[in-house]
Amino acid sequence: MSKPKIAIFDFACCEGCQLQFVNLEEELLDLIGVADVVEWREAMSEKSQEYDIAIIEGSITRLEDEERLKLIRSRAKVLIALGACATIGGVNKLKNNFNDLDEVKKCVYGKDSKKPHLATQPTKAVDEVVDVDFYVHGCPIDRKEFTYIVRCLLLGKTPEIPDYPVCVECKAKGNPCLWQYGQVCLGPIIRAGCGARCPSNGFRCFGCRGYTSNPNVDAAKEVIDKFGLTVDHLKTKMVLFGSRQEPTIYG
Amino acid sequence: MCQCCTEKKDIYLPQLATVVKAEAMNVTERYLRLSMDDGQFDYIPGQFVEVSVAGIGEAPITITSSPTQKGGFELVIRKIGNVTNAVHNLREGAKIGIRGPLGDGTYPVEEAKGKNLVFICGGLGLVPQRAFINYVLDNRKDYGEVTILQGTKCYEQRLFVKEVAAWEKRSDVHMLETIDEGHDCWKGNVGVVTKLIPKVKTDLKSAVVLVCGPPVMYKFVLMALEEYEVPHENIFLNLERKMKCGVGKCGHCQINGVYCCMDGPVFRYSDLATMPEAI
Amino acid sequence: MSVKKIAKDDFAVFVDALIAKTSVIGVQAKGDRFDFAPLESAKNLRLDYDVTLQPPKKYFLPPTEVLMTFEIGGAYRSAYEDEPFVLLGVHPYDMVAINQMDELFQQDNYDAHYMKRRNNATIIACDVVKPSENVFASSMGTAVVRGGYDVLLTDIGNAYVAESGTPKGEKLLAGMKGVTADDAALKSRESVWAKNKKGLNRHELKCDPAYLPRLLDKAYDHPVWEERARTCFACGSCNQVCPTCYCFNVQDDVNWDLQTGKRERAWDGCLLNGFTKVAGEHEFRNQRSDRFRHRLYRKAKYVPSKIGGQIACVGCGRCVAACLPDIANPVSVYNRLIDDQGIG
Repeated sequence: MSKPKIAIFDFACCEGCQLQFVNLEEELLDLIGVADVVEWREAMSEKSQEYDIAIIEGSITRLEDEERLKLIRSRAKVLIALGACATIGGVNKLKNNFNDLDEVKKCVYGKDSKKPHLATQPTKAVDEVVDVDFYVHGCPIDRKEFTYIVRCLLLGKTPEIPDYPVCVECKAKGNPCLWQYGQVCLGPIIRAGCGARCPSNGFRCFGCRGYTSNPNVDAAKEVIDKFGLTVDHLKTKMVLFGSRQEPTIYG
Repeated sequence: MCQCCTEKKDIYLPQLATVVKAEAMNVTERYLRLSMDDGQFDYIPGQFVEVSVAGIGEAPITITSSPTQKGGFELVIRKIGNVTNAVHNLREGAKIGIRGPLGDGTYPVEEAKGKNLVFICGGLGLVPQRAFINYVLDNRKDYGEVTILQGTKCYEQRLFVKEVAAWEKRSDVHMLETIDEGHDCWKGNVGVVTKLIPKVKTDLKSAVVLVCGPPVMYKFVLMALEEYEVPHENIFLNLERKMKCGVGKCGHCQINGVYCCMDGPVFRYSDLATMPEAI
Repeated sequence: MSVKKIAKDDFAVFVDALIAKTSVIGVQAKGDRFDFAPLESAKNLRLDYDVTLQPPKKYFLPPTEVLMTFEIGGAYRSAYEDEPFVLLGVHPYDMVAINQMDELFQQDNYDAHYMKRRNNATIIACDVVKPSENVFASSMGTAVVRGGYDVLLTDIGNAYVAESGTPKGEKLLAGMKGVTADDAALKSRESVWAKNKKGLNRHELKCDPAYLPRLLDKAYDHPVWEERARTCFACGSCNQVCPTCYCFNVQDDVNWDLQTGKRERAWDGCLLNGFTKVAGEHEFRNQRSDRFRHRLYRKAKYVPSKIGGQIACVGCGRCVAACLPDIANPVSVYNRLIDDQGIG
């Protein structure tokens, strides 16, 4: 069997998830040993139109990006959304909270706001444009989870990605609950798989892996009440990665 | 260190078996005949094995062959998850891991002797039932009348077509078959399996009734059997659960207080009275 | 078995000598809480702790462990951890939980992975000095333990009373500098026990725990399950901190050669999405209320039926502390049922 060809593409993002590939260090050589990387702008100059697995980083914010993504999808057998921008729209979705993007552009770019290269549209996650076969969640992605998913793919198996909250991994690590230390942690409604990295280091969960498939948002409302907070406190925490994600606490 | 554990066998460790025969039954089902490499394998109809594909995982599969038929054992595997997909790729001669046979809740092989038997099977439910059907047919004089009701969703999904046809021809078997959706090539009954129950000639009240099918089927079959006043002690149900470890530890297959993998997968209906999660 | 009175300084000397010889896991501060962790010096040992964040279960059933290794197409080989260690500072309720786990992992099918670690462990238990905020061990009859440990320590103020419970413990005790405990020391220990039997009771169960299985017999359709589960995150925190939760998942992973690999087991929880999901996506316990009920039935009815009626909630109170919406407290649920159904 010939080695599968992998191509990596980036859209609107900080390219930090790709950086995690580079950070694989020696393991990157293992990966290259079992798959051919044929296109990867961040690390090589070659380009290719033939690939089996397309890895998409970033969210979709322009019409021409939608077209480009559709073309990639048509060429790839398997398409992976990599990182929060690609899987849930990520931080880029913050802009969807503005009703009038033209106003925002005017404010940011002044008189240049009408220039064609600044054309923009509300941010979309990759699966709002094309079908996604596999998701590598997180901002940035977890290297261990990423390599596990790649190995699963090479074996022809569907990876088991947790559909339970971050609390599971957080408690298993023996962490005390950050809510008891006054932090508005999103762990109870956010998908695990990161090994509860933020709470283990004293930071609340920011929600970068997106919601579990059935987050109990009603429970979240009652909890904040118990801690003397308001829905607004929760909203401001959820908005970073949760903008216009379903379901949300926005009415 | 401690002798007691080095001597105890590892309950999670699969033993190797060889795929002696493998063939596609239709698009989703694959038939396998396996032979344990160390030769040892004794089982009772209704027992299951954990099928292990290295790198992929394990899946619980009920044995479809009867222990009366020598030369390994048979499985039918529907392509539905990681492990079963991988099994579909195995060719004859390939190695596969097996743990088992598992499950203390088997078909009532002894208790049913001398009694009339009615098998009610829905779709893939024929697969586990076949183990007991063939056991009965190989010990025909030990049992009374045999009635088999088989319902399949569509014509293309019918399983063991030749074998079912052979059962149909036997004078000592009353075989009734139906498909949910009509088909040009099908001249027989159309409709769900419960529609066949009124056609059973055996006195259901005194028969042993064995039921296996998808989770949704049980409720309807049991309602129908209630009309015929079949005593709950005489009804046996083969239940499906997530039998992950197969040895009563991991907790996934628990139905109220009972582990499906230990006390099942075949249960006496009257024993399920205290298990509201069962049906 | 002998009972000694040991000066606290001498005990510290003993612990440091033990650390030099073998791997010692002891209770230490973790921020403003406590947890079990590898002990580097007797100085760090905190036998005056209230409760640890995680129960000591993880040293017998780790959050993840390799069960076996394999080569695709080849044989599977069992993998065992085989290092002796000392577990220092196990509270009575946690000791009861370990005793229950021992029974569950040995019965029907002997789990050699758990038992290998268990047999490698030397357990020095200790009586509670400071009750935690949510402990209800007194209600569950687990405030004092008389079995399972190798050595039991009781802080009687100026000294420890140490009693061996096994030949292994007897040997350990022989290595501790001290004198045979006199009547006064034994009396002090008795009063610690008497105090704890009543005092570890921040939540008071309104019935004898032995009655709980019968209480639950009539409670299956009670509204409390849905009422509580309405705010359940299904986050499994109650499972993850419980000393008697032992459900697990098993997963394979391969190395980069795609030929060799390992099969691992990891903690799972009956509250979590997917726990009962079979191939084909049918999830048998789909509702949060069903899962919530299952946990409390498992603790007070299902598991007890497997271990001679012992209630599988030992009153450590960890789930109470870990549950954000504050619904997990077993005592408040059982008391609610008693209020509605009465006793008997």
